[in-house]
Amino acid sequence: MKTQYLGVKFFPVAVLGVGIYCSGLLQAQTSPLDTTTFVVMGEGLAAGMANFGLSTTVQTGSFPALVAAQLKTAFPQPLIQPPGIGDVVGYPMREAILPVYPQGTVRVFQSQPNPNDDAPTVFVLNLSIPGLKLADSVLMRPVPPIIQQKNMKQTVVNMILGFPQLFFQRPVPLWTQFDYAKAMFPTLSLVELGFYEALDAAVAGDPTRMPDPAAFAATYGTVVRGLRDLQAQVIVTTIPNPFDTAYFATPDIAASVVATSPFILTAGYHITGQDYITRNGMQAISSQFWKRTLGPLPAGSVVTAAVAADITSRINALNAQIVSAAKANNAVVYDLNAFFRKLRVSGMQVGTRTVTADYLGGFYSLDAVYPGTTGHALIANDLLSFINQTYKTSFPTVNVQAIAAADPVMSYQKPAGGSFGARMLGLDINEP
Amino acid sequence: MPGPAGARILALVALLTAGSLSCFGSAFSIAELGARAAGMGTAFIGVADDGSALYYNPAGIAFQPGKHMEMDSLVVVGLFRFTPSATPVGQVVPANGYSQSIKPHFIPVASMYMTAQMSDKLTFGFGIFTPFGLSANSTNFHDGDPNLTKFVGRFAGTRARLEQFWFQPTLAYKVSKNAAIAVGPAFVHTHLMLEQSILNPKGDGLVFGRQAANTLFPGVPKEQAAAVISRLLPEGRSRVAGTADTVGFSVGFLYKDEGSKTNVGLTFRSAITSHLKGKASFAFGNDYPLQQYIGSDFLTNAFPNQNITGSFTTPATYGIGLSNSSVHKMRISFDFRMQDYKRFSSVPLNFGINETNKKNVALPAEQRLAFNFKNSYHYAVGVERTLSEDLTVRLGYLRDLSPVPDQSVGPLFPDANRNSFTIGATKKRNGKDYTMFYEAMVFEHRTTDVAANSNLYTNGLYHNFAHLAGMALRFDMPAMPKLMKKH
Repeated sequence: MKTQYLGVKFFPVAVLGVGIYCSGLLQAQTSPLDTTTFVVMGEGLAAGMANFGLSTTVQTGSFPALVAAQLKTAFPQPLIQPPGIGDVVGYPMREAILPVYPQGTVRVFQSQPNPNDDAPTVFVLNLSIPGLKLADSVLMRPVPPIIQQKNMKQTVVNMILGFPQLFFQRPVPLWTQFDYAKAMFPTLSLVELGFYEALDAAVAGDPTRMPDPAAFAATYGTVVRGLRDLQAQVIVTTIPNPFDTAYFATPDIAASVVATSPFILTAGYHITGQDYITRNGMQAISSQFWKRTLGPLPAGSVVTAAVAADITSRINALNAQIVSAAKANNAVVYDLNAFFRKLRVSGMQVGTRTVTADYLGGFYSLDAVYPGTTGHALIANDLLSFINQTYKTSFPTVNVQAIAAADPVMSYQKPAGGSFGARMLGLDINEP
Repeated sequence: MPGPAGARILALVALLTAGSLSCFGSAFSIAELGARAAGMGTAFIGVADDGSALYYNPAGIAFQPGKHMEMDSLVVVGLFRFTPSATPVGQVVPANGYSQSIKPHFIPVASMYMTAQMSDKLTFGFGIFTPFGLSANSTNFHDGDPNLTKFVGRFAGTRARLEQFWFQPTLAYKVSKNAAIAVGPAFVHTHLMLEQSILNPKGDGLVFGRQAANTLFPGVPKEQAAAVISRLLPEGRSRVAGTADTVGFSVGFLYKDEGSKTNVGLTFRSAITSHLKGKASFAFGNDYPLQQYIGSDFLTNAFPNQNITGSFTTPATYGIGLSNSSVHKMRISFDFRMQDYKRFSSVPLNFGINETNKKNVALPAEQRLAFNFKNSYHYAVGVERTLSEDLTVRLGYLRDLSPVPDQSVGPLFPDANRNSFTIGATKKRNGKDYTMFYEAMVFEHRTTDVAANSNLYTNGLYHNFAHLAGMALRFDMPAMPKLMKKH
């Protein structure tokens, strides 16, 4: 890390300024939407988290970045060098050890004519942080040292909200995500928060991990009101249901991923057709299939239909609070949950291919929770359509096919050829 | 040297005039400087038979025997309203638009005239009056208020004050029984103050934004980055104020044809270029996101308070007037006046401490405020009817074509063409004339749409009206000691 370099690096900011007094002239404001400063408060989905970390791989093609490009507005992001940072949903928390090969500065420094001038952006407008919960957005702020080995979440907060602020020689504000968003004085804000709470509860199969709707509503109201008080247009997104993501698959869907029949899964693992097998569960099953020995699945492999229904109900309650907070503060609601639901039910067409919500279905990256760039492009276009409809604008949509052509996620394939049958797996059951 | 009573009178007059605020007329002209003239729609060049002749047509005093003192006062209540046609997104605009009413609402303007016949041919006069003045105030906010609740056109100006006092001794000479000429050199004192908000995110703030773009947002397109950065700056306010003393003059001619009972008058008042000396001061909010990055003294260093110089030009006035009193007990008058406001193209301000001689200063050596006025024209007609020996009544109409081009219509000059309707009366009592008038000044609605002003947010509908009322006291100078003793 070029820590010593940074304090000197940004000093020239303090000696800028000549000829400010002359008035500049621009075109008249014709749209009711001012896109000058577009700020996004979100968690991993809006950050561009994918596969096994947050990195430029998907950050540059995240749906907020794609929307910003279509709005032709500045959207500096806290770009992270691959392989990225952040914990992966469903896996144990990792120690924060940075940089790791092949990283150098971890945060990407923008190239300048003189290499010694390369620097990261001082402010970012995509403030989304993988693993961030709504309550964190108003409480967590950067804390030195920037890398906290035992606390990946704090490290990610530091790298996004506190870089390069933690390196300045003069004291500068260390903002929470919410404070940061307000400080950027947005004209348009997007709030994508609450998804991580739902993921956390769903992956743990524990409905009690969902936040209390009243407390959630209070904090959400604070955030939306704080942004609206700046006269920003605020778009809030509903919380997608994790059971619509590829992380959770019914036996019917999981069977196509692990190359067997739904019956083998329900009979072999004593689950119902309405239960959900998780990504980790599918990986465990695949491993057992290759070993030709079925055994108990590790914890977190299956979420029962009853638990899923309970969590879904709680998500719906939070979404009702989001809609209510938006209405109370004159914000607008983009139904991201409906988008994910639509994808799960009918898939989406990209060229000649139907992208589905299944694992390896072309939408989700290998973490099964967050999309690849094609998925982000589809979200971006849906959001752009919403913006155009809501604000009577005509921003162009993204060329999804062009993005899909370069997206490795679109190359993922479910197993083809033969499938694992009862006899092959040594099961003493009669397949229908 | 005036005697004790005269000194008290002069002190009173000086107090009145010094305390006056001027505010009216075409752009910043004031035409209602005589109550009697104002009652006749200001058509007075061909009449010029009271003390205000020193303003309307100084040759008129040649036909005023004896010694007279006259004090005129005028009160203006301006009702200005502006409804912008475009605003920043989220701007809070009052339901009926912004009120630009002058504060205080009642603006007094006072004038004093004195004439003394020296001989059959020579008459001396002295007048103190304010032919130019302005008082505009669109400040509906405190600096700490949310930006989007503040007056939307504040970057084009929030307050302006102009007062130009003419101290004009005059000599009038009868070249014949029916014709006179006059010349009045004048000492002219001018005070000007302009205030506006600065660091407009869509204007001057962008300049800073462009300079900081690559440092704060490397890799982001410059204009996009500049637009974001300009919103991270605080709004500031600049105030420039200065005074100047200079000289001008008025000349007049009046011919009275006894046969036709018709008068013809000509008048000219010189243009004045006031070389102002004063101060420029700047203030900024102290709670903004960039403050700790650029340093708390950055903006105060960039905009240092300092002495300034500048110049301000007021136009010359050319006028011709006719009056006729052949109809029984009635006088009809007509004036045409032109003011060459084309001279008022810009106001240059010179900063001694500027970007060329001090590091990190953002001020240019010269800042030129462009106005590009055009000439203005007044057409006035008035009627005066004597009802009895001691009562005279008047009616008048004034058509005033504004010199302010669309580009300069804004908070400093919310001007438009005007139609004014006046009434007035004079009552004589104990050898003194008490005169009153009222004027309803109807501004034409004016809608501006100037592309260059789109980011100053001064385009929109200007909807104005003004009430003017005044009174005057005129008396013979010999009566003065008695008056003072009585009171």
